[in-house]
Amino acid sequence: MNRKKTSWLVTTLLILGSLLILFPLYLTITIAFKTPPEMAGNLLALPKSWSFDNFAQAIEMTNFFNAFKNSAFVTIFVVIFTVLTNSLVSYAIARNLHKKFYKFLYFYFLSAMFIPFPIIMLPLVKQTSAWGMDNLVGLIILYIVFNLSFNVFIYIGYIRAIPVELEEAAIMDGATTWGVFWKVIFPLLAPMNATVAIITSLGAWNDFMLPLVLLSDREMATLPLVQYIFQGQFSTDYNLAFASYLMALAPMIIVYIFAQKWIISGVMKGSIK
Amino acid sequence: MFKKMTAGVMAITLGASLMAGCSSDSADDGKVTLELFSNKSESIETYKGLIKEFEAENPDIKIKLDAPPEAETVLKTRLTKNDLPDIMSIAGNATYGELGRAGVLEDFSGTDLAKTVQPSYIDMINRLVGPEEEGTFGLPYATNANAVIYNKAKFEEHGLEVPTTWDEFIASLEKVKAAGDTPIYFTLKDAWTGMIAWNSLGANVAGEDFAEKKSAGETSFTDKYDEVADKMAALVQYGHKDNMGVAYGDGNNAFAAGKSVFYLQGNWAIPEILKANPDMELGVFPMPVTNDPAQNKLVSGVDVLLAVSKETEHKEEAMKFAEFMMNQDTAQKYIDEQKAFSAIEGVYQEDPVFEGIKANFENGTITSFPDHYYPAGMGAENLVQEFLIKKDKEKFLKKMDSEWEKVQNR
Amino acid sequence: MKKKNSVFLIITIPAFLLFFIFHSFPALQGIFYSFTDWKGYGDWNFVGLKNYLNVFKDERAGDAYLFTFKFAIVATILVNIISLLVAIGLNSKIKFHKTLRAIYFLPYILSILIVGFIFNFIFAHFLPQIGDAFGWEFLTRNILGNPDLAWIGIVIVAVWQAVSFNTILYLAGLVTISEDLYEAASIDGAGVWTKFWKITFPLIAPFFTINMVLSLKNFLMVFDQIVALTGGGPGKSTESISLLIYRGGFEGGEFAYQSANAVIYFIVIIVFSVIQLKFLNKREVEN
Repeated sequence: MNRKKTSWLVTTLLILGSLLILFPLYLTITIAFKTPPEMAGNLLALPKSWSFDNFAQAIEMTNFFNAFKNSAFVTIFVVIFTVLTNSLVSYAIARNLHKKFYKFLYFYFLSAMFIPFPIIMLPLVKQTSAWGMDNLVGLIILYIVFNLSFNVFIYIGYIRAIPVELEEAAIMDGATTWGVFWKVIFPLLAPMNATVAIITSLGAWNDFMLPLVLLSDREMATLPLVQYIFQGQFSTDYNLAFASYLMALAPMIIVYIFAQKWIISGVMKGSIK
Repeated sequence: MFKKMTAGVMAITLGASLMAGCSSDSADDGKVTLELFSNKSESIETYKGLIKEFEAENPDIKIKLDAPPEAETVLKTRLTKNDLPDIMSIAGNATYGELGRAGVLEDFSGTDLAKTVQPSYIDMINRLVGPEEEGTFGLPYATNANAVIYNKAKFEEHGLEVPTTWDEFIASLEKVKAAGDTPIYFTLKDAWTGMIAWNSLGANVAGEDFAEKKSAGETSFTDKYDEVADKMAALVQYGHKDNMGVAYGDGNNAFAAGKSVFYLQGNWAIPEILKANPDMELGVFPMPVTNDPAQNKLVSGVDVLLAVSKETEHKEEAMKFAEFMMNQDTAQKYIDEQKAFSAIEGVYQEDPVFEGIKANFENGTITSFPDHYYPAGMGAENLVQEFLIKKDKEKFLKKMDSEWEKVQNR
Repeated sequence: MKKKNSVFLIITIPAFLLFFIFHSFPALQGIFYSFTDWKGYGDWNFVGLKNYLNVFKDERAGDAYLFTFKFAIVATILVNIISLLVAIGLNSKIKFHKTLRAIYFLPYILSILIVGFIFNFIFAHFLPQIGDAFGWEFLTRNILGNPDLAWIGIVIVAVWQAVSFNTILYLAGLVTISEDLYEAASIDGAGVWTKFWKITFPLIAPFFTINMVLSLKNFLMVFDQIVALTGGGPGKSTESISLLIYRGGFEGGEFAYQSANAVIYFIVIIVFSVIQLKFLNKREVEN
């Protein structure tokens, strides 16, 4: 790698490009701190004072902590159970792909990736509310089940690369199938588990459409849904609105700042398989 | 083994939180929680104040206000889910008619509450439900006026007088434009704001029975709305440079900041404008649609009606809230804050802003909103919006006809 | 061995059942209702193929299909070109490599809806301010208010966000290519362009295929961006199929009718995906 010279041209171009990405965020942060009279002036200017009034008001108005709690509750449970169950199901399928039933299952889950959500939306909304699932728990269950389709696909590719001999050795030592999975396979899946956990948590945290159609009770609204619900009340108070947006984006950004290396390599690993 | 235990612990945690999630609904320290659904973002603050008052009087009832965007879609989703809010504060339009026909709303016919309402408004909403189903499924509460709002200071600056005919109206717009000012501030990024002018024009040109006749196949947009479309197109000439790019909220601010002389809006925009500029002096007049002043009626409809779900578990409490709202003092407070008009007998809007349309209410030169009788889901406002951009009149009117028939046939 | 089989069945059968109940069963219900006149509540009757015939005659549905495909194809192509360029840039010898990579991936972690709201403000207030300041007439109007341009606004937001994920996928492919290959090519006198077409592209072709298929599929379901930016307007110029099904299905009381629309949509997507896979696989083989 060291044989090549650093390309300053490419570096400069990439830095310019990255400004396009950072600019909307800069705007969000500055507007969130400004007051309505400041909006009349230059939008690029920094706020005159860094006061947290907009945030305090937005927290109160949107009941931010409640929405945060809902989003966190959904995301945490979805991630944990998606990783635990989806890896297990994938393992069962991966080790039996030569059998008709499992092969069918593999293609069954896979083909669902091509079914756009709007197609099942109307009946699903009807069905889940009839079964009392129009709440956060229902949301969690649906995410875990729907995630199967993509996760089976990426887990199986990885599991098939794990030599069967490892399992056979464990079985020789008297381990049950359960034991083999949890003690031998699951730890070996760690990189893939990380990938799945990252993609799943981003999906659950940021999703808007499923909470929109599924949840009726405003107390249960997740962070993105809350931003939508309060559009009318923000009206033209962009400072308040942007303070609220910023708070909704912040948790993920903070996690990202500390774990970006790990998150990026997690997503990358998932794609190589 | 460790992994197994973690899994076990997690399963228990989930189980426990599931239970907590289920029981938290009813464990609200003996209080009954009612959900109040409102389709207006403008009235949120007013409702919050009224709710506080009601909760102080009824400490065992809690009211949760829900006013989402695209409220009618949300409400219909709730209908599909069989999960209507306890109390609904919605407009007297086609969605109300559909809910009424679906038989999911409490019938108020002949109740004492319904008797406090001016009978003409009861008739207005009964017509929405139509002949198939008889009943008054809501209490008309506040009514509105579709008008031309003007900036009094600018009005005088340009030496204008309140126009009473279409020609005079156009002449004043022309005068403003010639002086280099913006006559009308349009906010057509929000499609519904185009319906303000549309309704004034349609009601006065095509007549009040248009929807009925159209449904019966006796008339069509192509026959009756030619003039309306021409006049719509004429009005847009007097806008600002980005008529289609500004949304309602930004428009209120712009008008409050003196960016135009006229603003085609309903009374509901007035509190929003005053919020942005509390010292502004405003006036209103009914849009003069024809050249015969005697023929020009003010478009006014049921802006808010209160409906109660038939299925609610807390009917008694919901009725209590309805009674509270229908009380003369509450009603007065509502219309004062919202700059609206009351549907309740004996409650009057005295704000001097409405001097210019007072006479219409007094002598009854009022007509209802034509689009409240259009079939729901037709999306007329988007079609009108599209027409104002493309100005292809014939195609547009034909499309209005075909969309109406399409929805009707479904 | 028998016991092992039963354990696998105990694992997979509940998964199968749950998936069937919450995914396939609603899909089948949707197909069933598409032959009725159900509004989502109340009584219903069978109406045969009437809904399907009406969808084909429905200009609004037709426009939604046109818009959705126009949007999806343009966005897919742009996203793939831009992210491939960014990935190549990030993969070359540059300064601040880690920081730049982190910045380019950032949009992926943000909520599409909120990003949409932020861009809505940019289009409505910031760009017109710039336009006024510099006297650029075309910028002084909100492009979301122009039916011919509003879709471009949506493309911009969608691309802004989607480039991140695709860049990472391409980068994952690029790092697997050995530097020696380029060295050897340079010795043979190959230029940048030749190196790209002869070495880079063939080696990342599988990533290209996956990216094209995944982005197209995601863009065909576009919903959040539109809700945040235009709500389908002006007119109906940016109404996507997802939005139409949501709005029409619930608000318009067209549950059955939009179910028929959804079935047609499903068939279209399948056909599209198959064609795309065939075409892209063929190129991969040829290369």
